[in-house]
Amino acid sequence: MRLNWKTFVLSFLVILVLFPFIYMVLLSLATDWRFPDLMPNYIGLKNWKTILNSETGLLESFFQSLFISLSVGIVSTFSGFFISRSVYYHPKRKYLNLLTYFPYILAPVVFAACLSFFFIKMGLFGNIGGVIIAQFLIGFPYAMIFFSSFWNKKIRHYEDLVATLGGNRRQTFIKVLLPLAKSMLLICFFQTFLISWFEYGLTSIIGIGKVQTLTIKVFLFIKESNNYYGALSCCLLIFPPVVLLYLNKRYVFKNLV
Amino acid sequence: MKLKQIQQVFLMLGFSLLLASCGSESKKEDDLQKASWEEIEEKADGTTVNFMMWQGSPVINNYINNYVIPTVKENYNINLEISGGQGPEIVQLVMGEKEAGVTRSQVDMVWINGETFFQLRKIKGLYGPFVKQLPNAEYIDFSDPYINTDFQQPVNYMEAPWSIGQFAMVANSAKIQEPPSNLEELEAYVKEYPGTFTISNDFTGMTLLKSFLAEIGGGPNSLDGEFKEEKYLELSSQLWEYLNRNKQYFWKEGETFPKEQSKMSQLFANGELAIACGFSEGGIEEKVKSGLYPKSTIAYAWDNGTIKNANYLGILDNASNKAGAMQVINFLISPEAQYLKANADGMDANTVLEISRLPEKWKQKFENAQEREYGLKMKDLEAYAIAEPAPEYMIRLYEDFRTKVIEQ
Amino acid sequence: MNSKTSNIGILFFILIGVIPFAAAFIYALLYSFGILGVFNDGFTLKFWESVFSSGEFLSSFGYSALIALVSTVLSVSGALWITLKFKESLDKRFLSFVMYLPLAIPGVVAGFFTFQLLSRGGFFARLSYQLGLISEARQFPDLVNDTYAIGIILAFITMVMPFFVLLFLNVYKNERLEDLGVLAQSLGAKKNQVTTKVFLPILLKKTSILIVLYFIFLLGAYEIPLILGQESPQMLSVLIIREIKQFDLSQISEGYVVAVIYTIVVSISAILLFLPKKGIAHET
Repeated sequence: MRLNWKTFVLSFLVILVLFPFIYMVLLSLATDWRFPDLMPNYIGLKNWKTILNSETGLLESFFQSLFISLSVGIVSTFSGFFISRSVYYHPKRKYLNLLTYFPYILAPVVFAACLSFFFIKMGLFGNIGGVIIAQFLIGFPYAMIFFSSFWNKKIRHYEDLVATLGGNRRQTFIKVLLPLAKSMLLICFFQTFLISWFEYGLTSIIGIGKVQTLTIKVFLFIKESNNYYGALSCCLLIFPPVVLLYLNKRYVFKNLV
Repeated sequence: MKLKQIQQVFLMLGFSLLLASCGSESKKEDDLQKASWEEIEEKADGTTVNFMMWQGSPVINNYINNYVIPTVKENYNINLEISGGQGPEIVQLVMGEKEAGVTRSQVDMVWINGETFFQLRKIKGLYGPFVKQLPNAEYIDFSDPYINTDFQQPVNYMEAPWSIGQFAMVANSAKIQEPPSNLEELEAYVKEYPGTFTISNDFTGMTLLKSFLAEIGGGPNSLDGEFKEEKYLELSSQLWEYLNRNKQYFWKEGETFPKEQSKMSQLFANGELAIACGFSEGGIEEKVKSGLYPKSTIAYAWDNGTIKNANYLGILDNASNKAGAMQVINFLISPEAQYLKANADGMDANTVLEISRLPEKWKQKFENAQEREYGLKMKDLEAYAIAEPAPEYMIRLYEDFRTKVIEQ
Repeated sequence: MNSKTSNIGILFFILIGVIPFAAAFIYALLYSFGILGVFNDGFTLKFWESVFSSGEFLSSFGYSALIALVSTVLSVSGALWITLKFKESLDKRFLSFVMYLPLAIPGVVAGFFTFQLLSRGGFFARLSYQLGLISEARQFPDLVNDTYAIGIILAFITMVMPFFVLLFLNVYKNERLEDLGVLAQSLGAKKNQVTTKVFLPILLKKTSILIVLYFIFLLGAYEIPLILGQESPQMLSVLIIREIKQFDLSQISEGYVVAVIYTIVVSISAILLFLPKKGIAHET
């Protein structure tokens, strides 16, 4: 009978995992679904249609979020890659490494609240540029930590080898380092993309409600108790990461050990 | 030298960013106060206006998103952008910008009243007076005390009224035959029906508390006049004592309170609460018609009266597009926009316009407008109207309700 | 290597990674002592005094720490149990995809979903009603915005446990625990001895830093407690933001006091976790 309870528990876990996704989609298809009805009275594409042709701005938010997250992902990954090289080859790398952890470990929303003055001062308040820079400030430490393990002795040897063989720095990067780091770069990009994609607190403070990313929209709908549009924006929010997962699980999960 | 180049590009980017941000000092605005309306309209044409408003109500958002935004675009070629924020967020934004010396605000116009008006005035955050310049202001009766006085402060044309309404109680008549209409009855009620009453920890809840405070003070006018510390302390300590004595019978045994009015509506909708309250004479019409609230929902008056107030539109002192904001505000107080806003099936907000002053066509439209089927009319509550007390009451109630009731 | 480019790299690192953090901290510190702020007039200790005397901060801190602790412990134990019991099955294609799915759910969605499910008007309340377990919404147990933070903890577990399952599975594979287990058994260890003496210590040791890190993340979590929390006590981030964004402009500094304390606590944890220990040469 042992096999049986295991199968049972496993199936239960699978349902548990799938349930949120199914429920979100169902809720986004429903209207007038209230206590005590177990199933919605209406199931259809009404809500989905309105986002495409009305003024709720969900589609706009989707593309705005996409733009912000792509920018944050690209800038964080590349700056993290190049700068981490200097840092992790540095004799004091262990202390520098510690410094990266401070902004990484702090709650982004608190970080943003304390930084907002400087963003106002620099004219980076309430606009997309400001939100990208603010999110970059939390994506960057992540990328730094992510690449810390890349710059090891082996890579160093490769670099020395290329130098010995007469290669210049440009060749070292293009021919050796980037190909070696390719998969890590890709993973780091998706990870920082997701950090940005999922970010709410910092965005709400630096964007002062003017930069309406998808997470901001979800909160807006929660505030007005509009569950159906809330679920709809949740669907838009979780759909891209699921696609990424389907493409490659490692894009979404990277253990930090 | 790829790396070096990349790093140089980064460096340049960083510097240009810094330069760009430091060099954005604006030239002094032309004085709009002396400008004619035609000049203002001309200036506003083709601009973007940023409107910061409370976005907690679906009917209001619908009115703004699906009517106001497309119409101002079509009529005046103005891009109206909405950002979410109310009271403290607006004040903090203005304050932050003042601290940082920002001369071109991220936000042009704001939806405010009472305590926000008070605080914005305190930090000189509002532009004006501008209301008299708006052509549609001629339809507004500025001798109406509920319009020319905002929380005991003279408005002085620094903000334009947008709608007016009275607070009212809401009850499910299928569950309770005689809903409580004074504090004594409420106390008996919560003991009989524990868990069915609560106070939201937002401006709606605080407005209810003001009515309670006035009742404890001995009458509808007991809070009139300037804020007096001793009076507040004396009355509020009785109020806290009353609430703490009874909160064990509130929703969730008074351990917590809903954060938003919309949450309270949900609680009322699914039957957890049997009593609620709200602006716009209870604001139940749309909710009953859409099926959110049961048909047995009624709005009713509180014996000692409830707060009647107006809410307003203001322009920030450092707004970058004051002309555009004036154009939008003028539109929002136009007969057309006000008529739609008053639609009982829509936003259902009383107009601030004086019907008798309107052109014949609009006069008739307003007079023949469809009436509410479920809610009370503002006229029904006239005898129960209390003017908003001084803004300090609101600010203190917020703070003390948290420390003296929620956290106890 | 070219020390000039290296120095530019370090410069950038300082510029992006260090200065913003330092600036934020100093700003909060100055604000908390009343040195900054339109409504403040010079150095004062009153905000620090009132934060400590009101007790709100301490209860919020304790509350947050407790919630984070309970959630972390439950998530890690649950993940360990699942990993050890189901490690073979989880290798299968379909299941291994399903196990990754929760990572696609951000805090905002987890909070929203938990609310939809567990509130008194939510899915489970409706289910109970249909099953005749309750006859009115308010008979349903209090699971969101509740005193015991059940909603918050459940949402945290939803977010964190799947991550740890994947992590443990990874460590299990990378550290060749399977082989170690076989070895231990061939040396005479019983099955549960292998689990308690071999698997658990290795899994926990290898992931201990991450476990602590997740505890700290949960301590500062914002979205989930914002949706599912009660009005008092609130979790730290919610409290800080509420204080900083409050109506009474003269009390904003109190929010920065809490922010400063929180930042210090978190920074000390980072130092304890990541400061290079003397004697352990960490070769890179």
